[in-house]
Amino acid sequence: MKVIATYNIKGGVGKTSTAVNLAYLAAQSGYRTLVWDLDPQGASSYYFRVKPKIKGGSKELIAGERELDGLIKATDFENLDLLPADFSFRNLDLVLDTRKKPTQRLKKLLQPLSDSYDFIFLDCPPNISLLSEAIFETSDILLSPIIPTTLSLRTLEQLKTFIKENKLKGLKLIPFFSMADRRKKMHREIMETLSEKHPDILQTAIPYASDIERMGLERMPLGGYTNKSRSTEAYQSLWQEILNAIK
Amino acid sequence: MTALPLHFELPEHMAAEKFLNKLSKKINFQIASEHYATKTFYDSFDWRLYSAGILCELNQSKVASHISLIDRNTGKCLALENQQEVPSFSNQFQDGRLKTQLDPILEMRALLPLCQLPYQIFHINVLNKDQKTTVRIKFEAYENLGSRISLQPLKGYDKAVARVSQLFEKSLELVPTQSSILNSALKLQGRKAKDYSSKLIIKLDPELRADHASKVIYRALLNSIKINEAGTIADIDTEFLHDYRVAVRRTRAGLSQIKNVFPDSVVTKYASFFAWLGQITSTTRDLDVYLLNYKQYKAALPKSLQEDITPLYTFLKQKQKQAQTELATHLKNPNYIKQLLAWEQFLKEPLPEKGCSNAANLTIKELADQRIWKVYKRLIKEANEITEESPAESLHDLRKTCKKLRYLMEFFQNLYPENEIKALIKALKGFQSVLGDFQDYEVQENSLKKFSEEMMANKVESNTFLAMGVLVQYLDSMRNAARHDFTKQYALFKQEENRIVFKSLFAPHIEVKKS
Repeated sequence: MKVIATYNIKGGVGKTSTAVNLAYLAAQSGYRTLVWDLDPQGASSYYFRVKPKIKGGSKELIAGERELDGLIKATDFENLDLLPADFSFRNLDLVLDTRKKPTQRLKKLLQPLSDSYDFIFLDCPPNISLLSEAIFETSDILLSPIIPTTLSLRTLEQLKTFIKENKLKGLKLIPFFSMADRRKKMHREIMETLSEKHPDILQTAIPYASDIERMGLERMPLGGYTNKSRSTEAYQSLWQEILNAIK
Repeated sequence: MTALPLHFELPEHMAAEKFLNKLSKKINFQIASEHYATKTFYDSFDWRLYSAGILCELNQSKVASHISLIDRNTGKCLALENQQEVPSFSNQFQDGRLKTQLDPILEMRALLPLCQLPYQIFHINVLNKDQKTTVRIKFEAYENLGSRISLQPLKGYDKAVARVSQLFEKSLELVPTQSSILNSALKLQGRKAKDYSSKLIIKLDPELRADHASKVIYRALLNSIKINEAGTIADIDTEFLHDYRVAVRRTRAGLSQIKNVFPDSVVTKYASFFAWLGQITSTTRDLDVYLLNYKQYKAALPKSLQEDITPLYTFLKQKQKQAQTELATHLKNPNYIKQLLAWEQFLKEPLPEKGCSNAANLTIKELADQRIWKVYKRLIKEANEITEESPAESLHDLRKTCKKLRYLMEFFQNLYPENEIKALIKALKGFQSVLGDFQDYEVQENSLKKFSEEMMANKVESNTFLAMGVLVQYLDSMRNAARHDFTKQYALFKQEENRIVFKSLFAPHIEVKKS
């Protein structure tokens, strides 16, 4: 089981669509896949048409009173399940803080699922908090979408420093460009200079595209309503690069 | 809590459209796909998959073709692979879950098509108000066999599936079913599942006159010969010939061991016919055994010689093919067919009012007791005489006696308490296997020597002979191990516990008068 968190300190960078579309591709190629919607806004739950509600809310969840397995919902796609969000997740930080070893908590909760899934995608809320630390402890890969702007670069560097300072050795940070607009000169320039400075950024950039935006209308992963487009191909090659990076 | 019914039968008069129409008034659903397909069920001739609770299906349509293994009881899919056709043997499958599941069950047996069913399939998604699928429905409409509906529950939507299941049963009056469409299809063919087994199961009335009962036994054996004949001729897999030969050997053992129930002239005539059948089938079977053992032979060699043994495989394969052709010619010969028919006719003929001898007039239980007890005593006598110095022949003779006893016990199995006779047969089997190994290894050693002479003419590389030499040595060490094991295995068989049961089941009862 590999845990992949889609994470960025900033919001609106394409975390949810990355989690949903990559999970869809993983499931399509036969991997048993789970998406855990940790964002109280419940965007990935919305994309899979699942109510953003779990019995007992964040309190019972973090206390371990409910097994995760009993909260999981099958999506409309083969091999792909979802652990829905809940509005109480806005307090996840506070609930975690009441526990001993709060940053180990998610890892412990996911442990019983290790035989049931090949990949677990964590769709994380933005910001850096106790929850994000718990996510870092649990994840094998921190997949970070970055919009090619100067500000985004600063956050990437902040993240790198954080990982280094907290000695998160088991965590592999994989950044990639998201919502890249080739028509914008600034996007093009930043992507070029940055790839030189940060060779760990993946080659594939996910374009800013209307068919990705349509996910909110269609309420399903991109592959569910589009057969072949520049966007589907971009996600395909991104997934391939990630698979190669984790062997 | 009883399990929720997930599989239903549709009333015969209800066509697909009518059902869907009815359904649309009750729930919100969407037909995800609809197409015509063909379903072919596969199993080995002896129903190995069915017996293991598994169904193997090939589903073919214009859009897809896949093989799947289905749990017969739950309807759950255990493995699925996209493939155009079903390979004959499990080792011909690609590596994957299908292969790993099939291999230990099928072993050397071929997969054969059981029946082919054309059908129309609808994949239906039950939707909630967010248009999210909460239950999947598979609707299969078969020609002449009615329609089947299966519910596929989705994780986290237990209530939804319970609702649909209840709707089917209560409002739509569908009948829950546990039996697969395969069973209905077989019924239509006048067959039923597990209608062949290589095990001998003969139900005998203990009071039946011995000659009548003998005919019952021979008819069962003849049936086994006939049923395996076509597969033997076609060489579908090695076990047709094996089962064929076992039935022939049992018939021969019957003719010699169920003594004096038929006139001598009959016994002599058919004993020689079945002896001939044993003889013409033996070469092919021996070669089959070598080929089945080939993997084990190869593994017994040091790594550096493992590849050098390949020419032996080629040689055996070629020889087997030749022997098989000869065997098939024999079994298609009118003379063979004539004699087998005559035997069948003899078994059908009514018996004279009075049997031809004293033995023939006994009840079968009396005769069985006598025969088994006598052969058992002979076995013990022969085995007791064997020492470390005894020649191989005396072990071979003992093996033959063991076989006679085994066949007699198997013929008459159902005349005795099941647990006790089964335990004795099992004990005998264990003892027989050490004697069998001892002889088989010797035969294999000698054959290998003979093969190497023949292979000389084929310009085979010297390393191959080296490898065969190592193999002979390996077989020799195995043979010595079996010889060494004899005393221990015999002690196990002879132990008091077994002796008491043998005595109580078969020995003549002397009535003790109370004073």
